[in-house]
Amino acid sequence: MRPPVAALRLRLGATIVAGLLVVAAAAAWIAPYDPTTQVLAENLAPPTAAHLLGQDKLGRDILARIVYGTRVSLAVGVVTVLVSLGIGAAIGALAGFAGGWVDEIVMRAIDVLLAFPGLLLAIALTGILGPSLRNVVIALCLIGWTGYARLARSEVVRLREREFVEAARALGVPERRILVRHVAPLLATPMLVQATFGMAAAIVAEASLSFLGLGAQPPTPSWGAMLNDGRAFVLVAPHLTVFPGLAIFVTVLGLTFLGDGLRDRLDVRRPTEL
Amino acid sequence: MCQRGFVIAKRRGRRARAALAVLLLCVLSCSRPVAPAAPPGTVVIALESAPTVLDPRFTTDANSSLVSELVSDGLTTNDARGETVPALAEWRHPSPLEWQFSLRPNVRFHDRTPLTAADVVATYRSTLDPALGSPKREALAAIAAVEAPDPKTIVFRLREVSASFLESTSLGILPARLTATGPVAPAAVVGTGPFRVAEPLAGGGIDLVPWAEAHDGAPRLARVRFRVVPDGIVRALELANGGVHLVQNALDPDLLPWLAARPGLELLVSPGTTFQYLGMNLRDPRLADRRVRAGIAAGIDREAIVHHLLRDTATPATGLLPPSHWAYTDEVARHPYDPARAAALLREAGLGPDADAALRRFSYKTSTVELRRRIAEVFQHDLEALGLGLDIRSYEWATFYEDIKRGNFDLYALAWVGVRDPDIYFRMFHSTMRPPAGVNRGGYADPAMDDLVAAAHATEDRAERRRLYAEVQRRAAEDLPIVPLWWAENVVVKHRALTGFAPAPDGSLRSLAGARFAEPADQAPPGPRTSGAD
Amino acid sequence: MLRLALRRLALAVPTMLAAATFVFLLIHLVPGDPVDVMLGESAARADREALRRTLGLDRPIAAQYAAFLSGLARGDLGRSLVHGTPVARLLADRVPATAELTFAALAVAVALALPLGLAAAARPGTWIDRGSVGVALLGVSVPSFWLGPMLVILFAIDLGWLPVSGRGTWAHLVLPAATLGFGMAAILTRMTRASVLECLAEEYVRTARAKGVSRAGILARHALRNALAPVVTILGLQFGALLAGTVITETIFAWPGLGRLLIDAINQRDYPVVQGCILAIAAGFVAANALADVANGWLDPRIGAAAARARP
Repeated sequence: MRPPVAALRLRLGATIVAGLLVVAAAAAWIAPYDPTTQVLAENLAPPTAAHLLGQDKLGRDILARIVYGTRVSLAVGVVTVLVSLGIGAAIGALAGFAGGWVDEIVMRAIDVLLAFPGLLLAIALTGILGPSLRNVVIALCLIGWTGYARLARSEVVRLREREFVEAARALGVPERRILVRHVAPLLATPMLVQATFGMAAAIVAEASLSFLGLGAQPPTPSWGAMLNDGRAFVLVAPHLTVFPGLAIFVTVLGLTFLGDGLRDRLDVRRPTEL
Repeated sequence: MCQRGFVIAKRRGRRARAALAVLLLCVLSCSRPVAPAAPPGTVVIALESAPTVLDPRFTTDANSSLVSELVSDGLTTNDARGETVPALAEWRHPSPLEWQFSLRPNVRFHDRTPLTAADVVATYRSTLDPALGSPKREALAAIAAVEAPDPKTIVFRLREVSASFLESTSLGILPARLTATGPVAPAAVVGTGPFRVAEPLAGGGIDLVPWAEAHDGAPRLARVRFRVVPDGIVRALELANGGVHLVQNALDPDLLPWLAARPGLELLVSPGTTFQYLGMNLRDPRLADRRVRAGIAAGIDREAIVHHLLRDTATPATGLLPPSHWAYTDEVARHPYDPARAAALLREAGLGPDADAALRRFSYKTSTVELRRRIAEVFQHDLEALGLGLDIRSYEWATFYEDIKRGNFDLYALAWVGVRDPDIYFRMFHSTMRPPAGVNRGGYADPAMDDLVAAAHATEDRAERRRLYAEVQRRAAEDLPIVPLWWAENVVVKHRALTGFAPAPDGSLRSLAGARFAEPADQAPPGPRTSGAD
Repeated sequence: MLRLALRRLALAVPTMLAAATFVFLLIHLVPGDPVDVMLGESAARADREALRRTLGLDRPIAAQYAAFLSGLARGDLGRSLVHGTPVARLLADRVPATAELTFAALAVAVALALPLGLAAAARPGTWIDRGSVGVALLGVSVPSFWLGPMLVILFAIDLGWLPVSGRGTWAHLVLPAATLGFGMAAILTRMTRASVLECLAEEYVRTARAKGVSRAGILARHALRNALAPVVTILGLQFGALLAGTVITETIFAWPGLGRLLIDAINQRDYPVVQGCILAIAAGFVAANALADVANGWLDPRIGAAAARARP
């Protein structure tokens, strides 16, 4: 990849993600209407000056719902990634640092969890626990941590043998301190890259679950639920699906660009691409 | 990742190719079409959910009944006006507690065995046997004994005078050999109807083929296929594309103009007998309070839903019986949309905005059908304005229906389809008729109502019944054990090539027995260009 | 070769056992009484007790676990609460449809990704390369439940080339397979590109170039072959995502497969069927990974030895 393109991507990705964060934080000020207010008489109204992206079947403002939906999507993405990353990094780093049977057990457990496609497990869990955003996040985390654990472990195994760790050990620094003070900071970069991809995946997963009726419950505006609601009118009112679809697309694009760009910029080795 | 040498690569090349070939073979062998393609002339009907059972003693939901009545005949049936007419038998009513039926000659079951009175007796006796657990037992509770004095005659002796007995004899008849256990698996159901079961389809659908020896003549359709297409938009697209030829009451009203404009499709809107209502759990102390029920009734904007969501394919209802019904009265209390009155009623009942939030929350159950969920969101929005919270729970049909039958709900919306006999009021509102005995799902108990429905239940005099049912309707509209929502019209979109099909007010598809299907000549995937043939 | 296959198989067994344990635990992970979740709070006592007995929940957990495993060993997955039929039979009815769909989707993905990835690697930095990245991004960020109906409208309604939904002829397979395979094609394209580029940078390629082998010749004869191993690994790993994706694709296209069965079972709270579906899909995934590892061992014995221990 040629550097100028990579830099452009990084900048574009960062801009999109920053923009989304602003939208999510300032949703109440940006959204022109309340996202749940219905005006049945204006159902399926196409975009107008008053409603820039039109109105849905119940006459709700689509722009307002997308703006508030950003909150839902980002919240699911951020919380899922933070929890998964926290758990995954801790377990992975411990396994990598401890080695031996601890490592073996953790890696086997991860293998087992990886025998479940993430979305499938999320479907099963939200199906059993009942549909709600909280349960979506729980289900996504249950599988999500494994990726971070693997990454953390492989990084730690690599770092463990490096001179500075050996040196610290020779100086009598306790193992835990080495892990926290010397190894952990070096983990941050690859984890950050992984996290951007993880967020994109979590956002798409939430949309998929909402599509199946297992995610956000009405009247919570979620992009996936909006797409699902609008699908019935794809022939007569395409604006119901085009805009939330675009929102998902742009968000995933932004996160992917950001991740790709960070990886190139920081020269992170990744075991597998994407 | 790629650390191999040149030579190894060369040697491995052939194996890689072999591996790919194996993979390809696997794909090919797995992808052979397995489901039987519909033979030419097949009429495909899309249903939103699978018919769960075809044993006529167990069919309670609309889709099961729809298919079941094509396969099984009862002693009687109803005509387009809803009047009971003979089907398998003519009747005589020699005394108030005795009904005699004489079977039509030369009727054969789909397994070619002749229909005899013994089959009828066995079907009724098994249905009446509590051990079978038939949901239709209660409707036949008036029967004290059923006997077959000769192979062509069936005699019913009743415990009490029952105005609704005759209508309950539409129960489909099974051969005696199948009646011992139940429910009979769909593929094994044998009836005397115009169509017999060919095979159940993967995914919950079912194929029917004409019964060559049907007593009213064999249908001329090659095959009728009921396909389950869970997704609303896909049902519409299938119609447009020619993969489905008929959809009844399962299309989004907003798509109707688009569909009607497609070449080769036609839209038929006719009066229906479907009554949509809001059910409430009266065992819940909050909903036991009439003011709360009246508040909810006045708090939801039915007119707006009918106009904007249903696109006027329905009429706001005053009660269960439609205006065309002989026992209908329009002199009843109405509950027009009036948020201020609703708020006042709720405040009086202690559910005002300052009441505990948990008290002001209700669960609302509905099916997963998109239109139903959308309606639920409007209710949620309307009630939110009154300070009531609605937790919408949408379930797949079978689960939803089970919950309702079990009384497991706060609020729910459901429809009565094809109501003919006003005696349903007895099973709906009498305090002894809570499930599983009857369909008093909300657990309504009102002495005045009990007296009215019991009196109407016990008389055969039409004028007296009309008077009593008018009282019942007034009382129901006043006390609101259920909130009437609307009467839905019968909406059918079908291919013009399917002729001779007439929608029935109760949604029955029996006219398919006399329908013809002129297959478009071009059988290639029938896109818009080829499906226009009519 | 055979030894590798056997060893991989031996490893799949404990993984499946653990997966089964996990599935078994799912019902016990539910906070509160699983019977309450299934029947709802206000269900009748008798219904409750009956369901508890049917599910064996009235027995101690160890006994339940033993019964579950011994049933599993005999291929007995219990009976559907809704249909009353054995779960194994329900699964057997649906597996061919899902297998057909996933393999077709896999074929679509491979057929799209290999040429595209190769072309991108052959001319890095050109419009082909950029285009392939664009396609890959689209594939990752367009959700299948949006793509599906769009494809239907275009190919079935506007063009009238293909049927809308259902399973039957080859034509019925095209749209669901394309919908399901597109996302995977995106990932595979990127993987192929990266992998081929890496190979092209290898010493032996440069040697071959120096010996006068043409660039196209190198690509076709050497780089692609060598690049195949990581692609096959990703194929195996992504197979799980593909299987999970069938849930959505089958819902859209009314495809009577495992995914649809799973969603119906969840909606009907038919717990034994949910369990069976998850196990079946997990088994498919484990099998696909084992197959990918064995295939890789075939391509390169050195990878095989490592792959048998842990997937990359």
